[in-house]
Amino acid sequence: MQHRTHLRSSAIALGFALGLSSIATAQAAVPESDEPIKLAMNEWTGQHISTQVAGEILKNMGYNVEYVTAGYYPQMQALEDNTVSATLEIWSSNIGEHYDNALASGNVVEVGDLGLEPAETWFYNDAAKEACPGLPAFEALNDCVQAFANAETFPQGRLVDYPADWGTTNVDRLAALGLDYTSAPAGSEGALVAEIQGADARSEPLLVMFWSPHWLHAVVDLHPVELPAYEDGCYEDASVGVNPNATFDCDWQRGYIKKMAWKGMADKWPTAAKFLENYTLTNADQIPMMNAIDQNGEKLEEVVAAWVADNEATWKPWVEAASQ
Amino acid sequence: MQSGDKDRVGLHSVWVWSVVLIGSAVAIWLAPSVAWLAKPPVDWVLPIADVTNQITEVIVNVAKPAFRFIGSVFAIPMEALQGLLQLLPWPATIALFAALAWVAAGWKLMVFTVLALFYMVLTGYWSPSMNTLGTVLISIPLALLLGFGLAVVTYQSPRVNQVVQPLLDFMQTVPTFAYLIPIMLLFGFGPVVGVVASAIYACPPMVRNMIVGLQQVPEEVIESGRMSGATPLQLFWQVRIPNAMSTIMVGVNQATMAALSMVIIAAIIGSSADIGWEVLNQMRKARFGESLIAGLVIALFAMVLDRISLGFTDRGRAVERQHAPTITRVTPWLVAAIVVMGSFVFAPQLTWLSVWPEGWVFYPADVINDALKQLTADYAAVMKSIKNTALFYYLLPIRIGFSKAISPFSWGFALETWMVQGYALVCALLCVVATWRYSWKVGVGIVITATLLWFGMTGIPWIVFIAVVSTLAWQVAGWRVGITSVLAWMFMVLTGIWQQAMVSVAMCLAAVLVCLLFGGALGIWASRNDRVSSIIRPINDTLQSMPLFVILIPFLMFFQIGEFTSFLAIIAYAIVPCIRYTEHGLRNVPETTVEAAVSIGCTPRQLLWNVKLPLALPQIMLGLNQTVMFALAMLVITALVGSKGLGQSVYIALSNSDAGQGLVAGFSMAFIAIVADRVLQGWSLRRQRELGLVQ
Repeated sequence: MQHRTHLRSSAIALGFALGLSSIATAQAAVPESDEPIKLAMNEWTGQHISTQVAGEILKNMGYNVEYVTAGYYPQMQALEDNTVSATLEIWSSNIGEHYDNALASGNVVEVGDLGLEPAETWFYNDAAKEACPGLPAFEALNDCVQAFANAETFPQGRLVDYPADWGTTNVDRLAALGLDYTSAPAGSEGALVAEIQGADARSEPLLVMFWSPHWLHAVVDLHPVELPAYEDGCYEDASVGVNPNATFDCDWQRGYIKKMAWKGMADKWPTAAKFLENYTLTNADQIPMMNAIDQNGEKLEEVVAAWVADNEATWKPWVEAASQ
Repeated sequence: MQSGDKDRVGLHSVWVWSVVLIGSAVAIWLAPSVAWLAKPPVDWVLPIADVTNQITEVIVNVAKPAFRFIGSVFAIPMEALQGLLQLLPWPATIALFAALAWVAAGWKLMVFTVLALFYMVLTGYWSPSMNTLGTVLISIPLALLLGFGLAVVTYQSPRVNQVVQPLLDFMQTVPTFAYLIPIMLLFGFGPVVGVVASAIYACPPMVRNMIVGLQQVPEEVIESGRMSGATPLQLFWQVRIPNAMSTIMVGVNQATMAALSMVIIAAIIGSSADIGWEVLNQMRKARFGESLIAGLVIALFAMVLDRISLGFTDRGRAVERQHAPTITRVTPWLVAAIVVMGSFVFAPQLTWLSVWPEGWVFYPADVINDALKQLTADYAAVMKSIKNTALFYYLLPIRIGFSKAISPFSWGFALETWMVQGYALVCALLCVVATWRYSWKVGVGIVITATLLWFGMTGIPWIVFIAVVSTLAWQVAGWRVGITSVLAWMFMVLTGIWQQAMVSVAMCLAAVLVCLLFGGALGIWASRNDRVSSIIRPINDTLQSMPLFVILIPFLMFFQIGEFTSFLAIIAYAIVPCIRYTEHGLRNVPETTVEAAVSIGCTPRQLLWNVKLPLALPQIMLGLNQTVMFALAMLVITALVGSKGLGQSVYIALSNSDAGQGLVAGFSMAFIAIVADRVLQGWSLRRQRELGLVQ
């Protein structure tokens, strides 16, 4: 093993070459093309991790991989002509119609769930817990409207909401649940984060629409509000849910996170395409890496390399399955 | 309008205003019972957005190959430049820029340039910074060339001017986001899209300033050029251009700033790992320290590039350069050449010459972040009272009017009937007094202002708003502008975007008034005091080129998302032209005129108000025009911190990849800008005529 690794030394980064050599020799056909597989690097750390973990494994398989910085929406355009070959963390919550449009173009395919489980719901901070002891039960919110009101929403309480362009349904939800609150759209992720951190610094109660996994949970304690659980039909059928006369009288439906690729991948790099289909990353994998990078200031490359080296047992089967 | 007709016209206006005011009163009285008066009905909405979508699709399909080709042509010099800048060890690049700065404007600028560029090395941002430099060194010249060409074909022909002016308004106010997707469809994914978008946004200030500059060259100067037998070409290059140079350079400065402010927008596409991308990533995390450190790179670039170009066009320096002994002229380049060669020779041994070691990086982000957090916690109460005061007594009355803004929670008491009657009585009295004491126009102004403040921009029936604003436009700037105004506002009614538009109008109006007041005052101060001027200039440059979301992060922490933060953001960006153009205009008043005024015994106050300000009016009005444009352009940024209105509509359209809806919102902003601009220009022209400054 050691000996063979040595022979291939220059081609493979040293950290995770161990153990890979057997696979690499088993399939001589890989890489089918020397052209670089271009993976999109979007704007957030979690996505960087999901992308580079896959990228480093692909490099181990012998592929030439290039990371291309690309905006979240613009990348969908780039996927159509292999300017970007694949993108690995597309959230159903905020991709909007770009997802459908990309598939409709016929040049982009979906390659399955990433495996991350996003949870989107209302959260409250520590100051809110003090001001509103009835929480996490959502009914308690109406007892402490004052604590959440501000100059722009008074006399109603304020729910800091997703940006309007992410397609939020909280206006309907607030009405359906009979809560005396207004939705105040945040405008951007940066604004949401600043709002949460600002409220934390000022020790001010805050009710906010947010999601996990997100690095901010490592900095600020946020607790989910217990909304009536989501049931099928709750969004469309008024009779489903706690309020017989309204839709959206339930929690948010759990979203999904998809991987997408340029259609031509399956012909150009068949094994790589199959590997990307098999590839998954769980919350338990991503969150510690995210914290290591965003909180402890570690380098993305080193954190990813360490994960790849330590979790061979996890990813090896994906590679093997792809090679058959 | 000839002076003989004045009385007749005056009487005519009285009738017009009477009809409009009575009609408005009836409309306001009927509004509660007639639904379509209060709110434009939904079934009036025309499918303009859908049609736009279809047209865009056709254009994209037809023109795609041509644009892809142009795109690939642009990509060649850009990639070459980026490659070169990445290849050069940092001491070599710094030395070359230092030499350039030295030649342009002497050792002070050289020291500044070296420090500015070394900052990028020190903070570990060298590589992304060079990628940014590679793109702006293409986009700025492109914008300047485009601007120069447009101005040259425009300045002599009023007919061409009529087409070009609205085009400029569109280029500056239709948010880049609205056309980012269409131009990406045309050019394909890549950094070229960013370059094109930057050039489109950055060229209008250049065109505008050049036109004003060329038009302001005194007729006598041109005459004397002609008499000494200059050919038209010589006349242009050797008489007009040098005489207009100081105003043109304001344009160059503004175009440079605008191009650099676009770095962040261009980064949204991604595709080149530049400093804009770096800032964008940090902003997403709302990390103030990190985004400030990265954002400063963009501001420093703006200052260095601007000062170097300014140095090269300074006539005094140009003469000095020509007469300098060869040795002085060659030395900077010689030194630079030695440094360049030296850095290549030593790079293999001393790796820190090509890659700055991580251990040496100076990155005080945590310190800044902690300080900000401390500040937020310590001054929470003060911040809250500042915000509430501005909101309750200024922003809300403009947006929703006194009738809704006054409540026990905000003003401490509820509106009662006697108060409403009192308000009406006081306003009526003021109107009568003003009519008797000054003129009926002031009286009408008071009635209109009082009504607008009572109902607010969003509460006033749309038909009243359109009638009043369009009549004003007609009376001030002629019937053409009046009709333009009607059409522009009707566009917003018929595309179903009226409510959002009024929210934006209220916000911009509030901000522009503040800019005018404080920006004008600062400009006057800076024009009389060189020290103040030299302090304000880099602050202005920073405000204009630093990605604004960076400044918004502390505002967000202090004041939360919403209207007040947006209001501050608009002011921070839009106040700059007010300061800059006021100072420039006042400083450019001919020395002889000032001397003449002083010699006939003008007091300093008279000198400012009766001589300098009227003479500087064209520049000041251009400044106000730019303030309005910038305020509208900022709507897209303020939408990122939760302001509602047209900016938000653009994002919603973007996420639905609905190019038509995005363009409709974008066009609405442009229309608001055009109406505001034409009315201001009409007023300015009128004032100048009354003062006998123009025929």
